[in-house]
Amino acid sequence: MRTFRAAERARSRTIALATVAGALALTAGPAMAADVSKIDWDKIVPTKVVLFYPGQSSYEWLRSDAHKGAAKETQRGDSCVSCHDDAKEEQIQGAKILKGGHPLEPIALSGKNGHVDLSVQAAFDDKNAYIRARWTTNNKTRPGVDYPVYRFDGKEWKSYGAQRLQPDAVAGKTPAVYEDRLSLMLDDGKVPGFANQGCWLTCHDGQRTMLREATRAEVAANPLLSAIKKADVRKYLPVSRADPNDWKTGKSVEEIAKAKAGGEFLDLIQWRAHRTNVVGGVDDGYVLEWRNFDSGKNHFASNMDDATKTPKFMFDAAKQGGKSQTDADFLKKDAILVKGGNAVPFDANAGWKAGDMLPQYVLSAADAGGSAADNKGIGVWKDGMWTVVIVRPLALANDDDKGLRAGGVYNVGFAVHDDHMTARGHHVSYVKTLGLGAKADIEAIKLP
Amino acid sequence: MPHQAPLGYVAMLAAFVGLGLFVLPGSAQTDAPEVEALFKENDCHKCHHPTRSKKGPALQKIAEKYKGKADAGDKVVEQMSKGGKVKLDDGTEDDHKIIDVKDPKIRLEIAKWILSH
Repeated sequence: MRTFRAAERARSRTIALATVAGALALTAGPAMAADVSKIDWDKIVPTKVVLFYPGQSSYEWLRSDAHKGAAKETQRGDSCVSCHDDAKEEQIQGAKILKGGHPLEPIALSGKNGHVDLSVQAAFDDKNAYIRARWTTNNKTRPGVDYPVYRFDGKEWKSYGAQRLQPDAVAGKTPAVYEDRLSLMLDDGKVPGFANQGCWLTCHDGQRTMLREATRAEVAANPLLSAIKKADVRKYLPVSRADPNDWKTGKSVEEIAKAKAGGEFLDLIQWRAHRTNVVGGVDDGYVLEWRNFDSGKNHFASNMDDATKTPKFMFDAAKQGGKSQTDADFLKKDAILVKGGNAVPFDANAGWKAGDMLPQYVLSAADAGGSAADNKGIGVWKDGMWTVVIVRPLALANDDDKGLRAGGVYNVGFAVHDDHMTARGHHVSYVKTLGLGAKADIEAIKLP
Repeated sequence: MPHQAPLGYVAMLAAFVGLGLFVLPGSAQTDAPEVEALFKENDCHKCHHPTRSKKGPALQKIAEKYKGKADAGDKVVEQMSKGGKVKLDDGTEDDHKIIDVKDPKIRLEIAKWILSH
């Protein structure tokens, strides 16, 4: 297993991706047969995918009269790009939604970019698919590797910091902080409507930061969300609801299991700058009745001991330069907690002072396992640009995965989270196709 | 809050209108990127493509329909300002969007740009 120091070197903003990819190959399990550093990306023509800020343009909004002249068309399943077909469509929509006072974005987001140019390359061999994406971040001086923390107030460890759209962050009561992310939602043709309307099938009123965000009481009273033990509404597909326009109308667990068995779900692949990158991980999840993680164990886990209400791990002062973060280095110095690296068990008697901070998550490549740990990857931020390579094993047979195969063509939606945001605070693409050695918007070439 | 045209475009257009810089329809193609941007900002392009029919008629077809008519600009402004039912190619009817531009002079410039196709 790669050490923390090696991982930190890998995340360095000044070294070349080839070096990082070489390190990644060392961390890999059996699925990582190929050495990513040996892929000559210069020989693979990039595809420019433009992403734009969608605000609260939910499934329901798109089918309402507020979506001028397009409600009927969207309801009957027309493609977004059948109307939104201008050469600069994403730039137009993103700028419009963020210009201030637009009904789809109620918060003034000064300085937020309306669109992101994502440069995408893809390749595959007998074992894996490799997707490389590059984009410029809005912050040119520091990458989004930070995340909300637990902060000691003299008595208790409390969550501190929040994503930029959260009311306390908007009001300036807590710092705006969240990790950068690159996400792909992938369909193998079994999700009705995804080829035409992409990610917008999954985005609904009632979700976090969306219109009519569900209250805890509403969620608690909902039969489906109670049955699956969820405390909020997340992405869902229309097939999971009796009325797709109403998150409250969840079908039975049995009906949802039947849809899953029939392949009516989306694979969700997410690279995270804080919670997965330094351990060479990438989330593997799926969207059906909720935004689920695959079975098994993620590359990250909670750092809160629910029994003692204290963190499970703190920093090894010898490796991190201190046992915790403080106000002086918060959002300035990288503070990513890695088991087997810079983490040691939490010591309640270590002389904690008010203002001390510890990460909310602890990372571990060794602990990750099962279907949740299928994907690997690495990202490097240099000169204001992320370069991320995601490695996805081919032919996965888990019941929560889409098995990619040579010759296959898949519908893909891309998203980038930037600027300390999550939930609706992302840039998204209209749906594209990804072909593994097949004609598509993004064509993955076969490696020798 | 109503969807307003961006102040930058409006101010720029107002300046152009005041200076009489727009080319009238019937002469050369209007070179007015600001008007085109406002057209797209209002999502008019979702239904109207320059050369081919979408949900609504192509801009060329609109220009052809009103060619030589003295009140062409006023008619186009009326369509974009008052909305109302429009008949679509598939025989159905739909409500025409009302453009989110309040200044009648700028509406007229958009109409002139449409008619310049």
